[in-house]
Amino acid sequence: MKADGSFPLLLPAIAIYLGLFFLPLSWLLLESFRLYTPGGIGAAAGAPLTLANYAELLTPAFARFFLETMQISLLASLTGVLLAFPLAYWITRKLSARWRAIAVGFFVTLMFLSVLVRTYALELTFGAAGPLRPFLLALGISPNSRDYIAILVGAGLLHYIVPMATLTLLGTIQNVDPRLVDAAEALGAPAWKAHLTITLPLSMRGVLAAFLFAFTFSISAFIIPMILGKGRVLFISNLIYNRFSEIADYPSGAAISIVLFAVALAIVYAMSRFVAKQWTP
Amino acid sequence: MEQLTRRQALATAGAAVLGGTLGSIRPARAATEITAVEWGGDVVNAMKQIEAKQDKVKVNWVLHQGGSGAILPKIKASWPRADYDYVAGWEGSFNGMVKEDWLVPVTVETVPNLADIPQKIIVKNAKGEWVAIPRAVGGIYVAYRKDICPVEVKSLDDLFDPRLKGKICWPGPTQAMMLPLVALSLHAGGNEHNMDPGFALMKKLAQSGNIGRVGVTDTDFSTSLTSGETAAGFYSEPQLTMVAKSFPVARLTKQAGVPTFLYQSGFAVFKNRPNLQATLEFANFCISPEMSTLYGEVAGEAPLNVKAKTPDSLKHLAFTPEEMDKYVYVPDFKEVLAQQDAWSKRWENEIAPLL
Repeated sequence: MKADGSFPLLLPAIAIYLGLFFLPLSWLLLESFRLYTPGGIGAAAGAPLTLANYAELLTPAFARFFLETMQISLLASLTGVLLAFPLAYWITRKLSARWRAIAVGFFVTLMFLSVLVRTYALELTFGAAGPLRPFLLALGISPNSRDYIAILVGAGLLHYIVPMATLTLLGTIQNVDPRLVDAAEALGAPAWKAHLTITLPLSMRGVLAAFLFAFTFSISAFIIPMILGKGRVLFISNLIYNRFSEIADYPSGAAISIVLFAVALAIVYAMSRFVAKQWTP
Repeated sequence: MEQLTRRQALATAGAAVLGGTLGSIRPARAATEITAVEWGGDVVNAMKQIEAKQDKVKVNWVLHQGGSGAILPKIKASWPRADYDYVAGWEGSFNGMVKEDWLVPVTVETVPNLADIPQKIIVKNAKGEWVAIPRAVGGIYVAYRKDICPVEVKSLDDLFDPRLKGKICWPGPTQAMMLPLVALSLHAGGNEHNMDPGFALMKKLAQSGNIGRVGVTDTDFSTSLTSGETAAGFYSEPQLTMVAKSFPVARLTKQAGVPTFLYQSGFAVFKNRPNLQATLEFANFCISPEMSTLYGEVAGEAPLNVKAKTPDSLKHLAFTPEEMDKYVYVPDFKEVLAQQDAWSKRWENEIAPLL
């Protein structure tokens, strides 16, 4: 690293990062090893250290919560990116500058629309008492079935993922030189093949970024599964909330948080390595 | 018709302005500001009406988010600096606060209207001092919407009727202190000290597919029942009262074999606050006979002040001593509170996968 005197400029940001990220996270880590006495609010001062909070997570039920969170998040993220890619391509390549600005503005506006509003809109429309209830029943779909509720939670996540992924992919697609596709087509490659072999690989890092944004948002989603999950489909974040806010078992909540954090980091790392290996130009 | 001259119009307008100005002049007073945490809906509406009946205290209202226990971590995080003068709660949250030694002991000298509250119900600390000011009593019991419920529920066994598929809203593991699960345990031969029968029965109920929604917030229940998503449940008084305002509700508080639980709601007054005296005076005012009556009418909880009038709509919560023995189950709250963490985790392990 070259010493050019710019380091002091970074100090405020570093201080804030240390204070607001590493310090609370360190506290969380320490709390996760504290022994909790039932009835208390968090661990008592000077409570002994224990691995019990992690040991109690080694159950099939907890694994099921974890897998359900991962499964719905993964499917919603993949679906979201798949829907967003053609949208971003269409906005970048097919629209005039004026309409492109309008389209981008539309997606930015969607991002600003409260997640609570969108979630309740879904609940009112597709919920067990919504206007689509007779239609769903006619199709043999019970709005109270667990699978339907899981799909509704996934749809709630998509509401946020699609605009976010579309906006993320705009720059990526913009940076792919369209003349490469033109050249491939001029040499006889069909359009679909030109896109699959040129546009997609060259956009892969952006696609990965969009997917990771979507996935990290999804696995930490709280409001969406809380409202649409009807207390039956629960995400890990809902369990964490219950531990911290409802039964005041901070050590257990901290242990789940640390596990979720570690798993999310591992997934991000693995995905990044995979994409770097497969699609390094 | 007589014409109004410009002079007359100006004179009239001037008189009106002067009258309005003089009318608005009152003796100067400095209301003490306090910050209070209350439940939303009809409860805070009732409290706002009570606040409007006095001018010594101006209340900055903060609402509970989730169960009343959700506020405890926030208080602990800032303690010994207390952000609230009082927090509305019930036995569950009061006992958590008592354990942390946050509350101001109260007496008939500091809160005179406590003299009209049955002393037996007042929460005490380890020294035997009163540490919360009860204002009303509510119930946790089985109820259903008579207009849409396909089954006339008469016992807990009826909750397993296949016609109720997806039609029950059951409180989640952080709601109502899991007393509905205690009710199942009682029904199956156990109690709060022996919850195995209760969990076994709860598993059957979860497997039946009759639970359409698990309520994770107070409003989940009232929203679910008023929207018609579900038709029956085992929930607490304010939510049931809210549903009963718009729909015919059968409340099984006096049904043999269906246990009813009673809880008190009231004020927990905090130490380390500058306006302690004003807060105690306000709490005292709130539990006066007149304000207790008003609270009962608006909030839908039966007043505890023996001189207050219980509204007709809350007669289902008025029990004779014989009825009390027959229908009301008073659990060992110490055990119930101590087991919340364990029961909640057991729910996640055994019940949630079946829902």
